Amino acid sequence: MFRQILLFVSGVKFILFCMLLMMILVVLGTVAQVDIGSFAAQQEYFNSFWVYTRTSLGISVPVFPGGLTTALLWFMSLTATLFVRARYDRRHIGIVIAHAGVLILLLGQIFTQILSEETRMVLQEGQTVNYSMSSREVELAVISDAGEGRENVVSIPWEALSGKDEIRTPLLPFVLRIKKAYPNSRLVHAKAGARDVFATQGAGTETAVKEARPSRSDEVSDTASAVVEMVDGGKSLGIWLFSTGLEQPQTVQAQGQAYQIVMRPLRQTFPFSLTLADFSHDVYPGTDIPKNFSSLVRLNDPSKNENREVLIYMNHPLRYGGYAFYQASYGKDDTLSVLQVVRNPAWLTPYVSCTIILIGLAVQFTSHLLQFVRKLQ
Amino acid sequence: MNIRNIVRISYLPHVLLALCIVWLAGAVRPPHTDSPFDLNSFSELPVLHGGRIKPMDTVARTSLLMLSGKQTLKTPEGRKPAVLWLLDMLFMAERADDYNVFEINDPDVLGLLKIQQTDQRLFAYRTLEPFLEEIEKQASYAEQTSDRTRFQSALLTLFSRINLYQKLQHTMQTAGKENALAEVQTFESGIRSFEEKKRSGITIDLKDENFISLAKILQEYKLVHEVAEFRPIPSPDRPEDPQAWMDIGEAITENAREGGISPSVMSYLEMGDAYRQADPARFNGVLAKYKDSLKQKIPGLMKNVHLEEIFNYSEPFYKSIILYVLVFLLAFVSWIAGTKDLPPALNRSAYWLLILAFVVQTLGLTARMVLQGRPPVTNLYSSAVFVGWGAVLLGIVVERLYRKGIGSVVAGAIGCATLIIAHHLSNQGDTMEMMRAVLDSNFWLATHVITITIGYSSTFLSGFIAVIYLFRRWLDRKLTPQDDDAFAGMVYGIVCFSLFFSFLGTILGGIWADQSWGRFWGWDPKENGALIIVLWNAFIVHARWMNFASTTRIMQMAVFGNIVTVLSWFGVNMLGVGLHSYGFMDQALTWIVIFSVSQLIIIGFGFLPERRTR
Repeated sequence: MFRQILLFVSGVKFILFCMLLMMILVVLGTVAQVDIGSFAAQQEYFNSFWVYTRTSLGISVPVFPGGLTTALLWFMSLTATLFVRARYDRRHIGIVIAHAGVLILLLGQIFTQILSEETRMVLQEGQTVNYSMSSREVELAVISDAGEGRENVVSIPWEALSGKDEIRTPLLPFVLRIKKAYPNSRLVHAKAGARDVFATQGAGTETAVKEARPSRSDEVSDTASAVVEMVDGGKSLGIWLFSTGLEQPQTVQAQGQAYQIVMRPLRQTFPFSLTLADFSHDVYPGTDIPKNFSSLVRLNDPSKNENREVLIYMNHPLRYGGYAFYQASYGKDDTLSVLQVVRNPAWLTPYVSCTIILIGLAVQFTSHLLQFVRKLQ
Repeated sequence: MNIRNIVRISYLPHVLLALCIVWLAGAVRPPHTDSPFDLNSFSELPVLHGGRIKPMDTVARTSLLMLSGKQTLKTPEGRKPAVLWLLDMLFMAERADDYNVFEINDPDVLGLLKIQQTDQRLFAYRTLEPFLEEIEKQASYAEQTSDRTRFQSALLTLFSRINLYQKLQHTMQTAGKENALAEVQTFESGIRSFEEKKRSGITIDLKDENFISLAKILQEYKLVHEVAEFRPIPSPDRPEDPQAWMDIGEAITENAREGGISPSVMSYLEMGDAYRQADPARFNGVLAKYKDSLKQKIPGLMKNVHLEEIFNYSEPFYKSIILYVLVFLLAFVSWIAGTKDLPPALNRSAYWLLILAFVVQTLGLTARMVLQGRPPVTNLYSSAVFVGWGAVLLGIVVERLYRKGIGSVVAGAIGCATLIIAHHLSNQGDTMEMMRAVLDSNFWLATHVITITIGYSSTFLSGFIAVIYLFRRWLDRKLTPQDDDAFAGMVYGIVCFSLFFSFLGTILGGIWADQSWGRFWGWDPKENGALIIVLWNAFIVHARWMNFASTTRIMQMAVFGNIVTVLSWFGVNMLGVGLHSYGFMDQALTWIVIFSVSQLIIIGFGFLPERRTR
């Protein structure tokens, strides 16, 4: 029985079926990018088990196997082939090598899709920064002074804000009661006490907050908002509105200590820092076609005793501490540089697997070619 | 048939080859013009345009192409070279305004100009002039919307063409001015006398008439500086550095104060003066002197410009198209020609001319590479040229191995088709444009882009060989099992080749993406397009390897590969429709649909019963 299954999934019909499935998925996922943007399309088509469609009843129904399911089918088929069908002799060695390579490539891509993180680091000229920011996820940061120019930061992730009614932590003397949490919202100026104005303290007392549908666009980022009541020893301190639309931190006094609280893009801090010395942007003479973007940064890592200047430019990232920093964007009359920060533990797998596949294909096709030439002669 | 006839027919390849070589040799000489003005020499003057130094003629050709869709000017007295039109644009704007150069096809845009649609498609600036205000107003509406109607995108195209037209006319002088040379001479001496007065401490009366007229001229040339389309003046201190080249306005306003206006400016103005007064002797004299001085100052740049000018007028790709058509016809006729001796002679002629056409196209490609200092594929236009080149090269190999005319027919068809596609892609302007920052890497252009393009070439080659098979299977009674095997061998071999190269190219693209954006694979449309070609080739290879499909089914799959390749080559570009690709891509969609349907019909032939008698 088991052997029959192996034979079936390594059979020609199943293999061709898997390939067609992948092709159709790729076409669908590409066309979908026009409507829903590339990030959303990637999540819904390739980084999922099923592709869903919303019916008129408002229920989502799975309609097509997603990227992860297809990858699993491929994985099954390939492993089965290597066990029951592959012929390990001299004539077929190229085929075996190539298929082993495809298997590794597949695994590497699955790991990359699950594990890799992309964030952005924004630097003004002269500014020193030791963190990068997520372009989608947010956090509620509670910052208090720790003396000697240092700060304590308690970061409350969005999942906690949207999933819980109350947040208690030994790190903070007060309790946060979550009244509302909107992943996307619109902030409108309004009178105190008007509809949808919840805050009684802080910067949001004259702001109405209305829930909005999460956008799926690549260009527009959502405005996440939360309405939080602070409770200190059973006594309410008031209700605050925190939102990525309100960029300034708001102060909460509790037990004689001032806490600065702000909703901001989720930060990833590094044990090292970068200082932007200079950003430059050249164009071709007499045109506005960009010729080159580059950021000259100073890398400072006290723990490793590294302190040096690095030039980051197109196609030449800085790889350091498990992260890679790429020149991504710029602004403010060329005084601001945006670096894309990528952490991908599986970044080497495509290099390894593709080399293996190419060797396999080259071996196989060369032997075919030699046979063919011999036949012609 | 007697022996003398056989000798005669077997010399056919030699005769045809010799004729074609003579015809090609004639094209390497500068073209003959009727004009008494030395147009060939003026064509070779170097200017900075679009970020690189190029001959005046390239500016003339690309500008005229962008406005009218043609590289020559149509007048009631016949076709005239683009550079003659440019001379009028630069120095005699009034005359240029009467030429019909604006291509307008959209009936609604014509309606805006109160013109009924007839078969006239080209219109003069003079006709548009009364409506300029309205066009500008409509354009500003259109610019504010992102989801444009056909009228709006056509109008924006017209608006940008008018803009280009006006910029060109204001590049050498204020458009339509009759006495530019005299004026600038007065300006220079006037400025100098004011500077002298200032140095000797005499206060300048701001209401002085002379001063006011000087200020007016200064103002005019500041405008020329702002709108100039190209920069013709080498910097006096760093002539080799393109960055330092100046436009006329800048050269006049900046240099008037310090040490006088550059002699280059005066040469151009004098040429303009001579041209207006219809004085070819004076024009040619100034031109020759100016060109000699340039040859001494910037010999390297002048050599490049000269090479580009040869490339411009010898039109190697156009010549290749004609040769490819000839190859296709010869090889095709060799299949249906009845007599015994004719087919081999025709077949051999086709093969020889195929090699000649390939050499011509290779020369053209090489010239572009030398001029750009880059690998052959840098944009959509050059990808079309290179896809054809690669397919022809492989076709020659196939023809050498099998000698049945199949390689020649297919190579001729693909070579001709891709060059025609390239021609239609070139309407966007200069095809040797500068590379945007992220693409500025000769290493990746030479590896990733080349391998992926070869993948396209070979996928097309196998697809078109399969097309021929399906036709012959349907029509040819005499198709033998040996023929079947030959076709199957060719197609399978080329599909393996495609699989290898498209996979290698896709991986190299992934590595490039990993180097520049930090991810190997991002499911981006262009990447997905490449992946689909890899998957489809792998599909065919598996279907054959595992004996799943008959020869006919494999051929049908190979033909479907044509659709897959066209979609990932062009279709993907259409998903992210940009402003500049609007006009072309609308048309392209129609062609892609027509092509895909035709391929599906051919696939359908495979389901018809065979004609052959066994």
